[in-house]
Formats: sequence, structure tokens, C-alpha cells
Amino acid sequence: MMSDVIPKPKPRPAPESLPYWQAARDHRLALPKCDDCGKFWFPPTRTCPHCLSSRFQFSDVSGKGKIYSFVTYHRVYRPAFAQDVPYVVALIELDEGPRLLSNIIGVSPDEVACEMKVEVVFDDYDEEISIPKFKLSKV
Amino acid sequence: MISDINPARELRDTCAIVGTATSRLGRVPGVSSLDLLVEAIRNALDDAGLNPSDVDGVLCRGPDESYSHHQLVAERLGINARFSTTLTNGGASQIMSVAIAVMAIRFGLAKTIVCGFGRDTWSRTHSSEEARVRNETRPESMLAREFGPEYGYFGATAAHAFGATRHMHLYGTTRDHFGEIAVAFREHALRNPDASMKKPLSIGDYHAGRLIVAPFGMYDCSLRSDAAGAVIVTRSDHAKDLKQPPVLIKGFGFQNNTRGWFADDNMVVTAAKQAGEAAYAMAGLGPRDVDTAQIYDCFTYMVLTQLEDYGFCKKGEGGDFVASGALRLGGALPCNTSGGQLSEAHCEGMLQIVEGVRQMRHTYPENRQVKDAKIALISGHGGNQVCHSTLILGRA
Repeated sequence: MMSDVIPKPKPRPAPESLPYWQAARDHRLALPKCDDCGKFWFPPTRTCPHCLSSRFQFSDVSGKGKIYSFVTYHRVYRPAFAQDVPYVVALIELDEGPRLLSNIIGVSPDEVACEMKVEVVFDDYDEEISIPKFKLSKV
Repeated sequence: MISDINPARELRDTCAIVGTATSRLGRVPGVSSLDLLVEAIRNALDDAGLNPSDVDGVLCRGPDESYSHHQLVAERLGINARFSTTLTNGGASQIMSVAIAVMAIRFGLAKTIVCGFGRDTWSRTHSSEEARVRNETRPESMLAREFGPEYGYFGATAAHAFGATRHMHLYGTTRDHFGEIAVAFREHALRNPDASMKKPLSIGDYHAGRLIVAPFGMYDCSLRSDAAGAVIVTRSDHAKDLKQPPVLIKGFGFQNNTRGWFADDNMVVTAAKQAGEAAYAMAGLGPRDVDTAQIYDCFTYMVLTQLEDYGFCKKGEGGDFVASGALRLGGALPCNTSGGQLSEAHCEGMLQIVEGVRQMRHTYPENRQVKDAKIALISGHGGNQVCHSTLILGRA
């Protein structure tokens, strides 16, 4: 058995996404929202891609969405994920519009399908970082 | 008036490909990507009956980290170039090089341009145990900072597999359909002595292959190759005096869905749609006129969705289209007749151009030649899955 646990890559927030990770640490999902057109976007940048305004704030979203598409990793690309295969990486379309990549956890890959409803949960990496992941919503 | 410029009138058939060749393909240890490319260019010049001093333009590309690549190539060819640069549209760059060559030549910026691409991808990861380990244990500082690695999201296989899953969901496409693409191209590779893959592949073998990132298994993925290819472009009226039957450049088109592969429905309706429409318009042709297609096959699914986007069948009917045997030599649309990136060698679309030219020359033995082929459509796809180029070639 492996005695050494190889750590998974730790997110290294870019300056423009720091507020996203600060909110995640508090178990909130917050995305940049434009003060002018009111739309959300992701990943965080300093300019609204909908109207090019630079006036925005990070605002909480519902954390609910659906699976637009997904893949299941069988190959181990990095040793840190050797214990996880097969695992699912999904493209989540949030109810507020933006899409983001995450894992679907708490379910067998065979049970995952496009359009399933999901909601955010937080996986504490350490005291600085919590990683937003998703589970299937109760029907 | 500038507004009157129309690609069909100004550019169609004005230029031709007069030389083409590859380097050694597959596993060529100890040879850099630059030297592979120079090997391909030298062979292409021989093919055309030209000397390096006849070339006054270089549009080349190699591994993404190579700086001022075209300068390094021209230096090795021992020439100064009037018109010379490197593109950065990934697998869409190679067709774009040919198109830029046509525009430059048509408007008097150069006379004869060499376009090429070379890589040493097999050697980088397989030539030694050290190379393999270096590849698999790249430091974290080389990964994306966030929004990917923490979820175990790595590699182009997964990015394209997202499109495959969505297509399967929307249209009932199956792995049997993807498998038929892998099997058909392997069958073509067996007819090509230069192809990397030498063993037959059955649909049973396809399903028995280990899964990589589902829905893709190992036979859905293109090869890691050492490979280079080159073509030489010049004016059609100049081409008549050269060694080979010229192959006319009839049309090209481009689309870059730079909002992103994950935006809109770009992973199921790709940039091939608008790129193809533009190329058809320039050539004055449509999908029914195409005798053979050389499609950018980084992954099986990408062939299926591009066939739809190019109008060879309707969106969502790609599975039935490939299941009909259409892609095979002798089928309705012989496709990737050299074996493609799945079974010949992966050279970021450059070998698709080489094969399209060769099919238009009618110099292949009967078992490789698409009978009476007069029009070839070639695709290039890349960048972050969003850049697309289309080239239409015709027999002169």
C-alpha cells in the first residue's frame, strides 16, 4: 500500500480570481457580476465579456446548475489522482449562465448524465483553499 | 474599390501546389523537429524540381515553444526570404499558411513560398526513460494555475471528449460510430508503407482498447509522432513549367470560435461550419462536389462532427453516415486515405494537406487512389479547440 499521499495540485489564484477563492474558503460560490449589464461571467477577468464594462463585483450565485457535458478519467495523468480513477470532470452550466469545470462527487460515473441537476459542495483543501465541487441534486 | 474584393474572383485557382513531401514519419529518434522539417522541405523541393534559391517565402511552424521558427528554418535552407513568418493557430495554422501564401503571391509579395510543419512528439516522450518520466512529472508550475488541475483535468483528450459526450447525448451517437472511424483509417494506413500503424484493427479490438478519458479509449486518440510535411506554393501559370502536375488551390476559409470550446454549442457545432461555408463559396463548390476529404482527426469524434459541419450529412446524422462505410476507400466519401493522424502519423494537419495534393495528382497505385478524384477538402483544427481552417484543392 502507498504510505505517502501525493498532494493534488493546489489552486494558485491569479490576482483577478482571488475574490473567487476567498469566497470559496467561506463556502460561498461568488462570480464576477457586471454593474452595468447585470450578467455574470467565468473565469474571472477584469472586463465584462458581455458589455466590456470594467465595473463589477463578485456576487454570490445559487450554486445550482446542470451538467452540460462530462468525461470520465480512467488514465492517471498525475500520480496524485491514482486513487481517484475513474473520476468525473463535468462542465456545469450554472442557473445564472456561466459554465465552469468541476468534479461530480458522491456518485458512480455510470450514473452521471448530461442535463442532470447539480449543486455545489465545498472540498476543503487546507486552511487557505476550498475547492467548489458538485453533487447531484435530490429529485 | 476595396469593398469589391471577392476571394472567389481574386484568388480562386490563381496559385497551385507544385511540390509536396514528408520527412521520415513515426519514430525518428535523434532528429529535432527543425531537422525533420528541413528534410520534408528538401524532399518537397526535389518533388517540384526546384532549388532553395527559387524560394522567397517561408511560412512554417513547429513545437509551440519554438521562437522565430521561420527564421530558423530559412537559415537551415540557406536562403533569405522576402515573406516569412510563423503562425499560432495550432492545428489550424498549416492550412492558414497555404492561404496566406496564396494571398502574398497573388498580390506580389513573394513568388514561391514553402509552407511546412514539423514536430518531434514521439521522441519527446518515448525516446528514453528519462524523457518519459520528465513528461509525466512536469512540475506544478507548468500546469494551469487554477480551474483545471485541482479537478484532475489535464490534456486535450478530455477537452475533445466533452464534445463527444454531448454529441452522444443529443443525437444518440455511439462508440461503435467512433470505432468505425478508427477502423476505416487503420485500413487505409495498411495500404500506406510510410504509416506508423502496421496491424489491422477490428471493431472488437477498438472496444477492447483501454479507456483513456471516456468516452474515448486508446483507439479514439491520435498518435504521438515525429513527423514533418511541406508543400510549395506558386502561381498557377508558373506551375505549368514544373515537374509535377500542379494542384490548384480553389478555396479556403476560416473560423475561430474564440468565445471558447466550452461556450455556446461550439463543441458540437464546430468552427468547421463557417470555415467550410467560406471555402465552398470561394471555390464555387459544395459538399456534393467533394471526392475525398482529409479531416483533422486528433480524435475520432472530431471527424464525425466535422463531417456534419461540412454538410456531408446533417447535424446529428454523422453516426449513420460513418456506419454506412462512406469513409472507406471505395465508399461515398473516402476520408483520411493515408491513415490520418489516428494511424499514419500526427503532424498537426500537415499530412492531410500532403495527402490531398497526392490524391489530386493521380499518381498513387490503384489500391490507394480515390478513383477519378477531382476535388479534395482538407481541414485543420486546433488552438484551444476553436481555430479552424478549410482548404479545397482541385485537379488542374
